[in-house]
Amino acid sequence: MTGHPSPGLVTRYAAGDPDVDDVTAWSVEIHLDGCAPCRALLAGGVDGAGRALLDRVAVAVDRGIVAGPAPVRPRRAPFGRRVPGRTGTVRAVTPWLLTAVGLLAVACAAQRLGSPQDPLVLLVSPLVPLLPVAAAWSRGNDPAWEIVSSTPRAGLGLLLRRTLAVLLVLMPALALAGRLTGVPPVAWLLPCLAFTAGSLALGGLVGVARAAAALAAVWSAGVIVPALVTGQAPAVLEPGARALWAAAVAVLCAVVLLRADDHRRLTSHD
Amino acid sequence: MTQGIEAVDEEELLRRTARGDRRAFDELYRRTSPWLLVRLRRRCDDPDVLADVLQDTYLAVWRGAGGFVGAVAGGSSASWLWSIAVHRLVDAMRRRARTARVPLVEPPGTAAPAEEEALAAHLGLDVENALTALPPELRQVVQTLILDGLSVREAAVLLGMPEGTVKSRARRARIALREALS
Repeated sequence: MTGHPSPGLVTRYAAGDPDVDDVTAWSVEIHLDGCAPCRALLAGGVDGAGRALLDRVAVAVDRGIVAGPAPVRPRRAPFGRRVPGRTGTVRAVTPWLLTAVGLLAVACAAQRLGSPQDPLVLLVSPLVPLLPVAAAWSRGNDPAWEIVSSTPRAGLGLLLRRTLAVLLVLMPALALAGRLTGVPPVAWLLPCLAFTAGSLALGGLVGVARAAAALAAVWSAGVIVPALVTGQAPAVLEPGARALWAAAVAVLCAVVLLRADDHRRLTSHD
Repeated sequence: MTQGIEAVDEEELLRRTARGDRRAFDELYRRTSPWLLVRLRRRCDDPDVLADVLQDTYLAVWRGAGGFVGAVAGGSSASWLWSIAVHRLVDAMRRRARTARVPLVEPPGTAAPAEEEALAAHLGLDVENALTALPPELRQVVQTLILDGLSVREAAVLLGMPEGTVKSRARRARIALREALS
């Protein structure tokens, strides 16, 4: 190879010879970046003071290694793919998603096996998304909330993305439950969307978790309990009320968008 | 581990270090620390600062070797080590700047003994002449910004001068090089 600097030059560079001018030293340094044999050659040219310093540092490093933590293992995803750091939000929300799906499954099973006249799936469908949506936007449940709260773009956009992710998971489950119990999609979809939008709109004022809890309580006390006691389908879930549900979805979505600033950060009551 | 540790290249040593292999780390230290010391010593000649910087660097390497393994391929292990070390040096200078001034390596004079054999392979003669003709204080800035890959702010800390001075010297160096090469 013609590219290597002469051994004499490397030795003089190693010794800090002031006669090696800057430009020469730069080309040596650039060469050493990519050439292990020349680095080995350089190691031989370090003077006594340098050697002593390196030995001193080696002892200190050894002490630091013994006292400190082991190397951080590189994180790997399945199939050997490497992932940059994940925030863990998905893992935190998953139990709540499973709970919601479980609630739906119980309602579906009860309606099919026990009492076909009670529209249980229809009754719980507005409540199903509330739990995971609230969990997806809560400070206590979010391992990355410090990052979220300090990210300029984190507001409504992130909340809507998480809500969308929750709905995408729950929609197939609702569709399956509706199919098994003979409920048309439009009947459960509109209340479900209206309650989701409602929890976001109200959440801007009091926090998404509180809003979801309040809506769930109102729906349970005002609709589910009377329906179960009287054994009659509630009026709000009759086909004639669907236009009202659609209007509610539109109005609540507009409110969410107009009040986007309410979601600028995860406040303490979220 | 059928291969002797002496025959392993530095990328593999880093990979083993990431798995907690202490022997691989020691071998890496043996091979790379003289090079790092010499290179750092051209930027700062206070032995205490150098010892601190080297210690910080190798502890960071021990704990973060996985970061190199997980990083995109392409960068050599040596440039990865250097970028850690030079940033630790900037940090050390920043700490020291609050208490006392550290004697920096004085820019040497413009005397330039011929070392054509090393230069011909890497720098064209024009570039070499142009760089050699730069005043020392401009060359120092060029070295910090281009060779060491530091930002203007970091260079200002390392060289102990205001950011505005770094910028204006970089601009003067650019103009001088452009004229010399045109």
